[in-house]
Amino acid sequence: MSSGILTGYNVHTEEDRNQMLASMGKSTISDLFTEVPDHLRLKTPLNLPPAMSEWELERHLRALASKNATTLDHLSFLGGGAYEHYVPATVDAIASRGEFLTAYTPYQPEMAQGILRFLYDFQSVVGKLLGLPAVNCSVYDCATALAESAWMTCRITGNHRLAIAEGLWPEYRKVLEVYLKGRAVELITIPSDPKTGQIDEGALESILSEQKPGAVIHQTPNRSGVVERMSRIGELCKANDSLHVVASYPMLFGLMKNPGDCGVDIAVSEGQSLGLQLNAGGPYLGIIATREEYEMHLPGRIVGQCSDLKGEEALALVKEEREQHVARHEATSHICSNQANLALRALIYLCTVGEHGFQRIAELCTRKAHYLQSKLCELDGVKPVVSGPFFNEFLIELPRPASEVLNALREKQIFGGIPYNQLLEDAPENQLLIAVTETKSKADLDQAIKAFASSL
Amino acid sequence: MTLESIFSKSRPDVSGSAIFDTDFPTGDDWRNWFEADDIRDEQVGLPEFSEVDVVRHFTNLSQEAHGVDNGPYPLGSCTMKYNPKRNDKLAILDGFAKVHPHQPVDTMSGIWESLLNFQNDIAEVTGMDAVTLQPAAGAHGEFTGLLVIKKYFEQLGQDRKVILIPDTAHGTNPASAAMCGFHCKIIPTNQRGLMDLESFEEHLNDDVAGLMITNPSTLGLFEENIETIAQKIHENGSLLYYDGANLNAIMGLIRPGDMGFDVIHINTHKTLSTPHGGGGPGAGPCGVKAFLEPYLPVPVIREIDGKATPDFDRPDSVGKVKTFFGHIEVLLRAYCYIRANGPDGLKTATENAVLNANYIKHQLSDLLPALFEQNCMHECLLHGGSLEVKGSDFVKRLIDFGVHPPTLVGAGCVHFAKEFDEAMLIEPTETESKASLDFIIEQFRRVASEAKVAPYMIETAPHNALTAKIIHNEAAWMSVYEDDDQP
Repeated sequence: MSSGILTGYNVHTEEDRNQMLASMGKSTISDLFTEVPDHLRLKTPLNLPPAMSEWELERHLRALASKNATTLDHLSFLGGGAYEHYVPATVDAIASRGEFLTAYTPYQPEMAQGILRFLYDFQSVVGKLLGLPAVNCSVYDCATALAESAWMTCRITGNHRLAIAEGLWPEYRKVLEVYLKGRAVELITIPSDPKTGQIDEGALESILSEQKPGAVIHQTPNRSGVVERMSRIGELCKANDSLHVVASYPMLFGLMKNPGDCGVDIAVSEGQSLGLQLNAGGPYLGIIATREEYEMHLPGRIVGQCSDLKGEEALALVKEEREQHVARHEATSHICSNQANLALRALIYLCTVGEHGFQRIAELCTRKAHYLQSKLCELDGVKPVVSGPFFNEFLIELPRPASEVLNALREKQIFGGIPYNQLLEDAPENQLLIAVTETKSKADLDQAIKAFASSL
Repeated sequence: MTLESIFSKSRPDVSGSAIFDTDFPTGDDWRNWFEADDIRDEQVGLPEFSEVDVVRHFTNLSQEAHGVDNGPYPLGSCTMKYNPKRNDKLAILDGFAKVHPHQPVDTMSGIWESLLNFQNDIAEVTGMDAVTLQPAAGAHGEFTGLLVIKKYFEQLGQDRKVILIPDTAHGTNPASAAMCGFHCKIIPTNQRGLMDLESFEEHLNDDVAGLMITNPSTLGLFEENIETIAQKIHENGSLLYYDGANLNAIMGLIRPGDMGFDVIHINTHKTLSTPHGGGGPGAGPCGVKAFLEPYLPVPVIREIDGKATPDFDRPDSVGKVKTFFGHIEVLLRAYCYIRANGPDGLKTATENAVLNANYIKHQLSDLLPALFEQNCMHECLLHGGSLEVKGSDFVKRLIDFGVHPPTLVGAGCVHFAKEFDEAMLIEPTETESKASLDFIIEQFRRVASEAKVAPYMIETAPHNALTAKIIHNEAAWMSVYEDDDQP
C-alpha cells in the first residue's frame, strides 16, 4: 500500500500501481509528472492533520455537531427566510438513494431518464404551484433566483431601470445588488406604507408613471411578514407596461391565489420549506417560473419532452443554446450546477403531502401563527407593528428590547424569534419577528406565551 | 411505465403523510384574515399519492438513473468519482441539519468551528491565504473571485475591463466574467495543447484585469509555462485566476498559490468527492492571497478571542453573494473527505487519478491515439478520427455495455476548440480500480471492433438502455407542462 495507510478510499494495491506503470514503460509515479517543473512540486506533505479512521472521523463530526443547539432541543420560532417545516421520511429515504445522489447532470439522456423524469415533473409541479408554465431545474437559492430574474427582465425589456420593493429580505436586496453591480442597472426603491406594511401603492403608481421602470420586484409575504396585494400590484404593472416579478414563500399558495393568477411575469421562491432540512442555511433551493414567452431568457437547465429513434416519448435537456457551455459570455447566466437533488426533495415532498396535505399545512401554519400573535398581543405592551394581513410570520413590538426578552426565553430553551434590528440595521430594538409552522403544537404555543408573559 | 407523467398516476383523496392537528380543526374562519379577492378558489393542482405509491414511483425512477454507485462514469472534466458513504452519513447529523441559520451566533459554535477548520484546510491544499466557503457552486466561486478582482482594481482606481480566457476554458468562465461586467478576450491553444504564449502577450495591456486559466487544462494537460505566464500577468499589474475544476490532478503535489495564482475556486464535487446529485447542489470555495482578503464576501469565519465566529464587519467586502453562510451540508462532506484522507491519502488519490488517465490513454493508443504526446494529468483527450463511425455514435454504444460515455463536443460542460472535433475526453478518476479500468478499455475495444463489421449497430445505439437514441429534433422539444396533464 503506497501511502502506508488504508484510508478506505484509495483503490490500488502497490502491485496494481507497479503493473500499470510498467505497462507504460514507466518506473515511478514521478515519471508521469515530468511536465511539472520540479521546483513547483511540494517537497513535504501538506500541513494537514493525519488521516482519521472511520470511527475517529465519526467521533470528530459528532463532537462538532454536539456544539450546536438545534430545533430539536429548542422550541424555535425563527423564520426570516428559512422555516422549520416537517420533512416526511419519504423525502430523506428516496433523495439519498445512490442512483440519484451520485449521478451527473443528465447529459446522456439514454441513461438518465430517471433523473430527467423527476426534473421534468419538478418543473411541471412547480408550474402548477406558481401558476406559470415555464420552469427551470432550479438555481442556488431564492436570493440568486431573484437576482437572475432581475437580469432576465433587463434582457426581455432592454430597460435597465428596476423598481425594488423596500419589503424584500435585506439579504435578498444585498445579493441582488451584488449580482447587478457589473451591469449598469439602476435600482429605485418602492417604499412601504408604514401603517399596513404593504407596498405604498400611491408611491408605486408614481414611480411607474414617472420613472418607467422595466420591472417591479417585490416579495410576499414581505420582510415584516405581511402578505402583499399581488393582484393589485399586477394590475398597476400591466397598466404601465412594466414586468412584474415576485419572490414568494411557496406555502402561501396553499391558501392564496398564485402568482400566475395575479398576472405575475416571473415568480421565484425559496424551496427550503418544501422538504429541505434547515442545514444552518444551506444548501437551499432557488425556484424560477415564468410565462412561456420568456422561457428562452431563463438561466440554467431546462428539461423537455422529445422522442427517441423508435418514436417513443423521452426526455432530454433542451434549449441549451441559452446556457454557458454553448453561449459562453452571451449565456443567460453562468449557472452550471443547480440544486437538482433538492428539486427532487421538493418534488417528493409535494407528492407526499399532496393537494389536500399542502392546503392543510398552509392552513395550520396560518392558524397557529394567528393564535400565537393574538395571545401575545393580549400581553401588556405587546402590539402588532403593522396592520397588513400575515401568513405564518409576524412582527410585534415589545415593551423591552427584543434581545433582552429573547435571552430570557433562551433560558427556557426557546428561540423566540429574530430581533428585527438584526435583519434591518435601523429597525427599533424592541421589534421582534416571529415565525410559526405546523410543527408547533398548541401546548408549545401556550408554553411560549407563558414564557413571553414572564419575560416582558 | 415510469415515463408517465406524475399527474397521470395521481389518485385524489389519498395522502402520503399524516397531516392533522386536532387542536386546530379546519374551517373557513381563516378567510377573514385575508382580502377575499386574494384567496385561492381553485385547487393548486398537486398530485396525490399514498406513501407506498410515492416510494414505489421514485424507487422505479432511481432504477432509470445511472450514478457512480452504478458503474464507471469516465466523463471527462466532470470528474465523477466515488462519493464515500461515511461523508453522507455524517453531514446530515441532527446537530447540523436541524440548525436554523438565524439562531444566536453563540449557539452554533460547532458550525463555525467546522467551517473554520475547513477554510484552513482549503487554504493549505491550495496555497492561498484566505478562503470563503459561501459560493454555491464552481461557477458561483468564479463569480465571487472575479468580483474580488473587480473590487481590487476599483480600490486602486484602475478601470480594467478585460479578462483573458483560453479557448478551451469551461463555458462558465466567460459567462461569469460577463456577469461581473468584464469583456472576454479569448486566447487560442497551440499545437501542443497549451495556451498560445504569443497571442497571450499580444493581448496584454492596461485594460486586462486578469487571466482565468485551468491548470491542468480541460485538455488534461499541465500548463508548463505557468510561471512565465504568472510573471507576465503580474508585470502587467493584472491578476491570475485559477479555475480549480481540475485540482484533483495536483492536490497534495502542487499548489495553485505556489504557481503564482492570486484567486482560485475549487469545485467540491470534483476535488473533494461530494455527490453530484444529478446536477447539484455543489459548493465552490474561493481562495485569495492575503492582499485580496478584505474583499471576500461577508461574513468570513475567523478566530476571534480563540473562538471561531462569523465576521460581518468587512467594510471593503464585495458584499453578499448568497443568503446565509454557504452550502453547509455539502461543505461538511468535503471536510470529511479531507480529514479521512489526511495529507498522504490526498496525495495518493491524486497520483491514482493521474496514473489511471495515463493508463487508459496508453492502453487505447493504437485505437484512439492521444491528441497530445506528453503525459496527461487526470484525463486524456483521444482522437476518434480513425474510427469507422462518428465519435458521438461510438460513445452511445458504450452505454449498452455499462460504461457512461466520455465527454465529447456538446456532450458535457467542456468547450473544445474547433480543431478538437471527434475527440473524446476520458476521465476515469482515482476511484476506478485496475480491474475497472481494464473493463472500460475492453468495452472501448469491443465497440471499435464492432464499428468495422456492424456500424449500423453503433449508429442506432443504445439498444439495451432505458430509451433508444434520443433524436435531436428541436421541433419536438417541449418543456412547458400542458394543462391536460392534470388529473
